[in-house]
Amino acid sequence: MLVAGCGKQSILSTRSPQAHNIMLLWWWMLGAAVVVFLGALGLLVLAWFRRGTAGLPFFGERESAPEAMVVMFGIAVPVVVLVVLFGVANLYLIRQTSPPSPRSTAMTIDVIGHQWWWEVRYPGSAAVTANEIHIPVRTRVNIVATTADVIHSFWVPALNRKIDMIPGRRNRVLLYASSPGVYRGQCSQFCGLQHAHMSMYVDAQPASQYRAWLANMGAPARTPSTAAARTGEQVFMGAQCASCHRIAGTPAQADVGPDLSHLATRSSLAALTIPNVPSELAAWIRNPQAIKPGDRMPDLGLSDNQIASLVAYLDALR
Amino acid sequence: MATSITPRGQQHVDRLERIWAERPGLVGWVTTTDHKRIGIMYFFTALAFFGAGGVEALLIRTQLIGPNHHLLSPAAYDQVFTMHGITMIFLFVIPMTTGAFGNYLIPLMIGARDMAFPRMNALSYWIFLASGIFMYVALLSGHAPNAGWFDYVPLASKQYDPGTNIDFYGYGLIFNGIASTAASINFIVTIFKMRAPGLSLNRMPLFCFAFLAVSFALLFALPSLSVAALFLELDRQLGFHFYDPAQGGDPLLWQNLFWIFGHPEVYIIILPAFGIATSIIPTFVHRKMVFFPLVALAEILVAFLGFGVWLHHMFTVGFATLTTVYFAAASLIIVIPSAIQLFAWIATILTGKPEFKTPLLFIVGFIIYFMIGGLSGITLAAIPFDQQVHDSYYIVAHFHFVIFGAAVFPILGGMYFWFPKLTGRMYHEGVGKLSFWLTFLGTLVTFFPMHILGLLGMPRRNYTYPPDLGWSFLNALETIGSYVLAVGLVMIVANLLISYFRGAEAGNDPFGGDTLEWSTTSPPPPYNYAVIPTVTSAYPMWDKEDREADSRRLDRGEGLLERGHETPATTVQDAEWDEILSMPSHSVWPAVSALMLAGIFSMLLLHHYWIAFGFLVVGALVLFRWHVKGVTA
Amino acid sequence: MTGTSAGGPTRSVTAETAPQAAAVARQRLAQPNGWWGMALFLCAEVTLFGTLLATYFYLDFGAHRWPPAGIKPPSVLLPLLATAGLISTTVPMLLAVRASRAGSRGRTAWLIGFALIIQCGYLAGQVLLFRHDLRQFSPQRTAYGSIYFTMLAAHHAHVLLGVLLDIGVLWHVAARKLSNYWLIAVRCVALYWHVVNVIAVLVVLTQLSPSL
Repeated sequence: MLVAGCGKQSILSTRSPQAHNIMLLWWWMLGAAVVVFLGALGLLVLAWFRRGTAGLPFFGERESAPEAMVVMFGIAVPVVVLVVLFGVANLYLIRQTSPPSPRSTAMTIDVIGHQWWWEVRYPGSAAVTANEIHIPVRTRVNIVATTADVIHSFWVPALNRKIDMIPGRRNRVLLYASSPGVYRGQCSQFCGLQHAHMSMYVDAQPASQYRAWLANMGAPARTPSTAAARTGEQVFMGAQCASCHRIAGTPAQADVGPDLSHLATRSSLAALTIPNVPSELAAWIRNPQAIKPGDRMPDLGLSDNQIASLVAYLDALR
Repeated sequence: MATSITPRGQQHVDRLERIWAERPGLVGWVTTTDHKRIGIMYFFTALAFFGAGGVEALLIRTQLIGPNHHLLSPAAYDQVFTMHGITMIFLFVIPMTTGAFGNYLIPLMIGARDMAFPRMNALSYWIFLASGIFMYVALLSGHAPNAGWFDYVPLASKQYDPGTNIDFYGYGLIFNGIASTAASINFIVTIFKMRAPGLSLNRMPLFCFAFLAVSFALLFALPSLSVAALFLELDRQLGFHFYDPAQGGDPLLWQNLFWIFGHPEVYIIILPAFGIATSIIPTFVHRKMVFFPLVALAEILVAFLGFGVWLHHMFTVGFATLTTVYFAAASLIIVIPSAIQLFAWIATILTGKPEFKTPLLFIVGFIIYFMIGGLSGITLAAIPFDQQVHDSYYIVAHFHFVIFGAAVFPILGGMYFWFPKLTGRMYHEGVGKLSFWLTFLGTLVTFFPMHILGLLGMPRRNYTYPPDLGWSFLNALETIGSYVLAVGLVMIVANLLISYFRGAEAGNDPFGGDTLEWSTTSPPPPYNYAVIPTVTSAYPMWDKEDREADSRRLDRGEGLLERGHETPATTVQDAEWDEILSMPSHSVWPAVSALMLAGIFSMLLLHHYWIAFGFLVVGALVLFRWHVKGVTA
Repeated sequence: MTGTSAGGPTRSVTAETAPQAAAVARQRLAQPNGWWGMALFLCAEVTLFGTLLATYFYLDFGAHRWPPAGIKPPSVLLPLLATAGLISTTVPMLLAVRASRAGSRGRTAWLIGFALIIQCGYLAGQVLLFRHDLRQFSPQRTAYGSIYFTMLAAHHAHVLLGVLLDIGVLWHVAARKLSNYWLIAVRCVALYWHVVNVIAVLVVLTQLSPSL
């Protein structure tokens, strides 16, 4: 079917009880809306068939009949339907999907929106990454959503509703995945030129895998082991790379762009704009503005040799 | 009536023609105070902006026909979608409904010879035109606003958008708001004070109730937008900190102020459409509106309740649950007056003998699309669901069904409906029906799949999208739909244009309309009515004796008011004849004043504050001169 | 029903002199269009100030300290005295309307002139206070300064506009005539001042709220 199940960013293929219940609410609302719509449409069709006759069937031309109809369908029915909807959605479901109270979960992740990528920090650990949020499966995770510049909005439709990231505010949202998997999310508040290329993955992993991942992320970056990689490290520290990016355990400690300490573990570059493979990485370093026009990463004017060694260095940062 | 005028009556008519004659040619248009000519200027200006906004829409759709297309650069795309929103709302729908339809029809419907403040009416038009040109200069020079019509800070702050783009937005909207404020004051006073004797409030056409409600909504909603834009420019130009959280400001202040304006704005857009629908339906159904008083009340109630729901545009900003729940409840309450009107229209059509001619077809299309947009609107009052689909294409689908389906369809139907009155010619019915079906299907194919795209997670305002998320087919379909829609719209304009030259003679009242405008000639004379009509019910054209009495009074020379630009003023509630007003005639000062305002805003934009002040002083002198000189007798 | 016959509706523009205009004004059943226009314009202005005051308190409630550290709370006495002076002009403006409706051109002019002197004094005093405040703290440092000065400037601009309206009406009534048109103008200007005076009270209470 057209609607169900295609795409990894759909509110209709859900992997958490929260998103699932919102989906159920949607299907029920759709059903009710279709009934109302078809009923009213039926009246219009009836009007077309009776276009030569005044009045209503059975009721004739008494004016009280259409007036009663207006009161019935315009006031009585909507009141009942709306009260039910209000109760289910805004009194019950809203609690179920709301952010966890700080005491109910041990697990907090800070997600910080940037033009146009996501910074991810794990409080209590040195782990810092970008555009990929790893969470343990079947755990209530408290996401603290903030922004470094303009307003963004954090949205992973398969898992839960969205929350805006607003300067001066610390918003929170619950993230819970009932089964392991990779779920796509995307910024959904217009944030400038590359709003279209500001996506991320949530990777829900079994607890043991997650712990291993976190331990690796919290460790300093690997020292380069090949000659090319060592040249690449020198290029990185010597060119402007180090003035924006951080690589843990090296002199590069800037925090303008994404943390690259474990870049090679990530599956994509530039917030899911291109896959993280050596050829794409080289193309990105060569001319980022051609791939993501307006992005903060400038064209550094590096030679092909320099780029090749940079790629060798970065590709080994597992 | 034109057909049965006696020689004596003709003498009076000739005299009125002389009194109300305006200057010939282009000068006549620039200096006119005739509400009908101003209405026509509004119409063509708004139509031109509709064309521009439509081209922008087609650019957006063409860009999105497939994944990773690069027809427009990201920077150009942002300007185009921002200008599409600004154009359609501020430069098309509002000027088209209040400006064109309201201006042309309200004095006619209430039996007046002009608006309460004819020169201020001209001023409103010229300011609107100047503000529209002001904002389009931005687009043509490549500096159009580019942070969306909602223009959220801090994206719109100097730090993240240092060019003049946003300044065109800030100044342009304050500029435009002056025109709308003046126009709404004019409409309210006209509707309150200028109704023909006997046309008491309870006999007033529902069209006028709708425009009254709209005018009040505009009057109270616009200051919020103007203040928000003022704060924005103070922040940007002078380094104030209204929206800067680092210095005690708050970016949510902008969102609150914007939506305190922005939500009533939705009803400002749609209420005139309700008014047009309640004019067309009784005419083609040949019966009175079902439950007239309840519908009038519902129209006013919608405008009023529209002020209490703005926070539902902000359910995802992280407010306390209780706050959002309150605003969701308020939003649900608006469903009731909307449903009352909806079923009153349906009941009227059902119990009458509908003739499905082109205008009524557009109204049926409107009813269907208003239901779709309304039902999807109800789903958005379920907060958790709203928080899922907020800022996705589901929202784009919802508000296009409301704004395009429900607000523009009656405008299109109204264009067909009153075309014979404006021109004296009939449009082509067959082409009219074909244009309806093209527009109807085009709208459905363009906007309906957007619901599904939203559910599939496609966010709004993206200049492109990746190929692997299942969005490509529906986007291509929508783009095809938008071209069909464009063909339908062009066909409407072509039909009317060709009919203007080739159409059959229409006569005064081709459809058997119920309101007063059908009693005068087509097109109406500059003074609208030779005899001030007397009204005894809400359907004055269906009171044949009253209208025959009017033409007898013309022969006897009664109720003519032929000593100058004269028209009656009546009491607010019962429309008792209170006094005879002498209205001002043609003047160049409104256009000059608008030019001075344009000078002020342009110089503000270019940071020439002293020259702007110079324009202000000259503008004040113009106003003074206009005022002192313009007072007759 | 051609208009001027006894008992029928009057042609109000034919009222050229003060007594004629006064007679027309007394005969009129509804408020004239000009009065309605001004009343509705003032609705928009009241909403505008409502938005400004709401912004003030919105920022106030969101702040840790209000006014922020380094800015003294405003002193109370002078602004309150000035405002009291301004709102006292409601009385001469009311009396001017009465005089105009009684057909007395001279009395109307004198009363407006009297009010005008107080209003000008108020404006001059407020401009001095404004400049004094500007030396204490800046609108470009904090959001408090931004809303404080914007709110006051908006109100002073309205007082200035009122003074200009006064001058226009006064010049016409004193030097030329008090026709129907200018009688309505007197009523409009008076209405304008009543509303601006009410706004003055609200603005000054908001301005002084940290000290009250």
